Amino acid sequence: MKDNKSKSELDYKKLTQSDKDLVSKMVAGGFSRRDVLKLSVVTGVSLVAAEQLLTEGKAVRAATPKKGGSVRCASNIHGPNDQLDPTLFTSSIDYMRGRATYNSLIQHADDLTPQPELAVSFEPNSNATEWTFKIREGVTFHDGKKLTADDVVYTMKRHQGEDSTSVIKAVLASVKEWKKSGPMEVKAILESPNADLPVLLGLFQTKIVQEGTTGAGIGTGPFVMESFEPGVKSVHVRNKNYWREGAHLDACEITAITDPVARVNALIAGDMQLVTQVEPKAFRQIEGADGATLLSTPAALQIGICCLKNTAPGNNDDFVKGLQYIQDRERIVKRILKGKGSVGNDTPVSPAHGKDFCSELPQRQYDPDKAKFHFKKSGISTAEIFVAPIQGGIEDICLTAQANCAKIGFDLKLKKVPADGYWGAVWMKEPINVVSWNMRPTANSQMGIQFGPGAAWNDTFWNNERMGELLALSLAETDPAKRHTLFCEMQTLIHEGSGMVIPAFSNINDGIADNVMGVPKVPLGQLGGCEWPEFTWLA
Amino acid sequence: MTEQTATTKEEEVLAKLDAFAELPDAPPKRKFRLTWVGYVSTAVVVFWLVICVIGPSIAPFHEMDMDGDDSFLPAGEGEYGHFYLGTDYLSRDTLSRILYGARNTIGISLVATLIAYLLGITLGILAAVKGGWIDMGISRVNDAILALPTIMLGLIVIAALGSSIPVLIGTAAIIYATSVFRIARALGQDIMVQDFVEAAATRGEGVWWIIRAEVLPNAAMPLATDFGLRLVFVVLFISSLSFLGLGVQPPASDWGSMVRENLQGLTYGSYAAIWPALSIASFTIAINLIVDDISAKAGGSLAKKMV
Amino acid sequence: MMTRMVMQRIGIGFATLIVVSIIVFIATSILPGDVAQIVLGQAATPETLAALRAELGLDQPGYIQYFSWLGNMATGDLGISKAGGATISSLIGGRLGNTMMMAGFVALISIPISIALGLWAAMHPGTLLDRLVTFGTLSLISVPEFFIATVAVLILAVELHWLPSTAYMTGDESFVQLMRSLAMPLITLVIVVSAQMIRMTRAGILNVMSSPYIEMAILKGVPRGRIILRHAFFNAIGPIINVIALNLAYLVSGVVIVETIFAYPGLAKLMIDGVQTRDLPLVQACAMIFCGTYVVLILIADVGSILSNPRLRNPK
Repeated sequence: MKDNKSKSELDYKKLTQSDKDLVSKMVAGGFSRRDVLKLSVVTGVSLVAAEQLLTEGKAVRAATPKKGGSVRCASNIHGPNDQLDPTLFTSSIDYMRGRATYNSLIQHADDLTPQPELAVSFEPNSNATEWTFKIREGVTFHDGKKLTADDVVYTMKRHQGEDSTSVIKAVLASVKEWKKSGPMEVKAILESPNADLPVLLGLFQTKIVQEGTTGAGIGTGPFVMESFEPGVKSVHVRNKNYWREGAHLDACEITAITDPVARVNALIAGDMQLVTQVEPKAFRQIEGADGATLLSTPAALQIGICCLKNTAPGNNDDFVKGLQYIQDRERIVKRILKGKGSVGNDTPVSPAHGKDFCSELPQRQYDPDKAKFHFKKSGISTAEIFVAPIQGGIEDICLTAQANCAKIGFDLKLKKVPADGYWGAVWMKEPINVVSWNMRPTANSQMGIQFGPGAAWNDTFWNNERMGELLALSLAETDPAKRHTLFCEMQTLIHEGSGMVIPAFSNINDGIADNVMGVPKVPLGQLGGCEWPEFTWLA
Repeated sequence: MTEQTATTKEEEVLAKLDAFAELPDAPPKRKFRLTWVGYVSTAVVVFWLVICVIGPSIAPFHEMDMDGDDSFLPAGEGEYGHFYLGTDYLSRDTLSRILYGARNTIGISLVATLIAYLLGITLGILAAVKGGWIDMGISRVNDAILALPTIMLGLIVIAALGSSIPVLIGTAAIIYATSVFRIARALGQDIMVQDFVEAAATRGEGVWWIIRAEVLPNAAMPLATDFGLRLVFVVLFISSLSFLGLGVQPPASDWGSMVRENLQGLTYGSYAAIWPALSIASFTIAINLIVDDISAKAGGSLAKKMV
Repeated sequence: MMTRMVMQRIGIGFATLIVVSIIVFIATSILPGDVAQIVLGQAATPETLAALRAELGLDQPGYIQYFSWLGNMATGDLGISKAGGATISSLIGGRLGNTMMMAGFVALISIPISIALGLWAAMHPGTLLDRLVTFGTLSLISVPEFFIATVAVLILAVELHWLPSTAYMTGDESFVQLMRSLAMPLITLVIVVSAQMIRMTRAGILNVMSSPYIEMAILKGVPRGRIILRHAFFNAIGPIINVIALNLAYLVSGVVIVETIFAYPGLAKLMIDGVQTRDLPLVQACAMIFCGTYVVLILIADVGSILSNPRLRNPK
């Protein structure tokens, strides 16, 4: 320890190696930022140097996963409708419980490429109209029963058929039949070619359940469900018979705190180690707090305004253009999303989708003069947007648009409705409403879901034949250059003609305690696509 | 008995009242005398009522203006002007929003409470005087509404009818009319068994006369003091609805929603949530202090039963 | 005579319960959207909606659903939650216990404090303590409770780390740990509820103090304290019991905001969730409990106030 009296700040370089080692060890052992700074006063180490040691120490910690410990995770909604049937999973808390309890055939890597999980291999035939999946041997459910191809076929069939209530029924509709082709082999026979089928089989709702059940919390997953109280919490303990190395944590608890302020307070107070859906307003609070970190993952989480094209005023192209030009995109990202997001170009594809993003498409800018021109040309002087708090920042985006419209003399009204019942009563029904979409693993499925002519969730009712052609072509195209041209054309079509206004993409913002490591970066959902249960460890 | 032909019915009643007032066991006269606390509170209430009217015209910014790139600025000079109380989470001027918001918060609550009172008093005194099946029927429906949690009722009504200002006023009015009903009925019953009313009844006076001449004048002061209390409840009810996202809708400002929107700022030292909370508190505390003052001075055993 | 009145009131209570159930049924039917739409959310398609509705029995006409519910209710079967499939009794069971526990603790702490403080303030009107109490309670009932709760959380949990910020219960903690978890909502509710009761106690007693017979006692030279404790208090019981009953009812059904902020698994939030998921059996069951509680409490309050006012014992 240096002499207390010499409080002068020392250069990092002047520290002896043993001092550095000492502090690194302390940091690796879990000293917080505050402790290291305190230490710096005692040892005379400069604040700058202390920061650097802290970063080094963190790097040391990050390398090796440690076993043990338990965490509590608070998601943002739950309710008496919490349940354990994967086909009905619709919110983050379901996805996380699903990840802890079950497995799918396919897993998503951080860059969204499909990885083997319960399917050791997946091979298409020559024109991608048939996929063969080899099922992993030696996997058992939590109650001891062995996993067989029968369980897989049964699970997949639950997404098909007239009586099916599966959330992803439409997404998997291209599969005509699931067939057991061997004791541990399953074939999917498709109606039309689909090179992306494996990626879709990593979606949250594709978890494999036992034949004859609806899930009931018995899966093959890294945690065994110890208790489940719908609307309150669930407790999970490590599965000792997991088919691969498995979870690092001994146990985890999953619950939800619906009030956003309370959720963040719980993280900062140390009552929770992981929380989802941190609002932009709370970023400063987390960043300034000891012991908590903001985890912001770039994603194509879409925030948009739909103008229905089958009715006024959405069917007036100039009106839509006016609404698009009045969006102050840079400011939205900077001020409302606090920089944790990216500018949108009125298409659902973002750089997070990888190569299929059309970077050649010129970025639409905030242009009040052009907006005024288009509004004037449209002959419309007032409109009303139905707004609900379905995603953080969406109301504020509409408020900003309203203020900007007022400046150019356009009367944009906002009608606020509650979030519950929004999807049934307002979305796809009112002439102008807001929407948000979780990122889909492929640009093709992203565009297909929303903009395919006649698609079930075509929220602007935009029917464009060429779009339909391109979607089908792109599913079958394998040559990268040709693929890119197709995707660019699709995005241009949407950019120019659909009724969709997408001013920004939001990052996925979660909060974690400083000692929580290993959260994946899959951008499909909160906390690494809800994949955290199996991969997280405590430093 | 001079100028009998010119005297209206009103004056007859007043004359009888005056005669009554001299009798030994008549109810005491009302006196309006306030302490200094009462005067200060009245000044506060009057101040806010004036702001309701002129607020938007003296506000430095429009309630919607989002100037400045950063939110939760402290009070001081900004890019576009002076922010006397700082900015809120969307970079809007807090002072302006409070001035605009006075109309919504106070206006809605006042109108709702007035309507609640009209409804509650009419039905309550009717039930007390008539008794029997009318009393039974109204009381049961009243109890049913009272038994259900206010927020839940608010939630259902607003989810069904949207949260426009008339709906908010109507919902608050009906919900709070129920408590007024109970009190008016209890008061009415209490007064009905008082001696001077019995005396009037034995004299053969009709029901409506009894209500106008006997029940109302005595109940007026206690009910007026209760008005203040209800007003406070309504203000808080609407703020609670705003907390749950159901109250006054943006961009209109309302003090309750302002507190809600800016709560996060408290954690890093922004006062954006404190100013609207103080506005609400100053208004409601002032009203309560006036109420306390009046009821203390007004005299009469009935007045004090009416806490 | 008294028992007849009580029986009468119980009968009336039942009638009120039925009226409440009808109101709730009508109210939830006019809400846009239904359970199937909520459960399937953004991912709903017409086919999946139809299939789920058939599964839940939502395709039957409204009045049939109501009467079958009524019939089940009469035999004690609360039904199955349409949104999640759990039985209503299992959903409510735990939450009811939590709510009653919180209400019990709050009542246990706040009633004695409020009556004591109210009495003290009434006994020493105009003193510094009285003015503090008056102004303090006034301020507290004038501020929205979510503000009180948030400030309390910020100071006690986030800044000082003395208490946890949410009421998270693991189910197997010791009593001390349990009290620590519950401390924040407890403190908030005690503050909110006591403020009302203190005011009412003080006002009720001061009110009675101006009655002629009290004036007689003062003239006779009886010390003020004895007057209050032996004469005034009993006569002021009516409104005091009334306000206690109303606050107890509030603690069961009206504490949505506190339950939300502290993530406390209580009954009020359950009902709101039920409304938001349009889960009719759940909403009805909660409404019955709230209404029943309210009826019982008001009955007690009415009996109390009638007992204390002889004139009302014999209605004309």
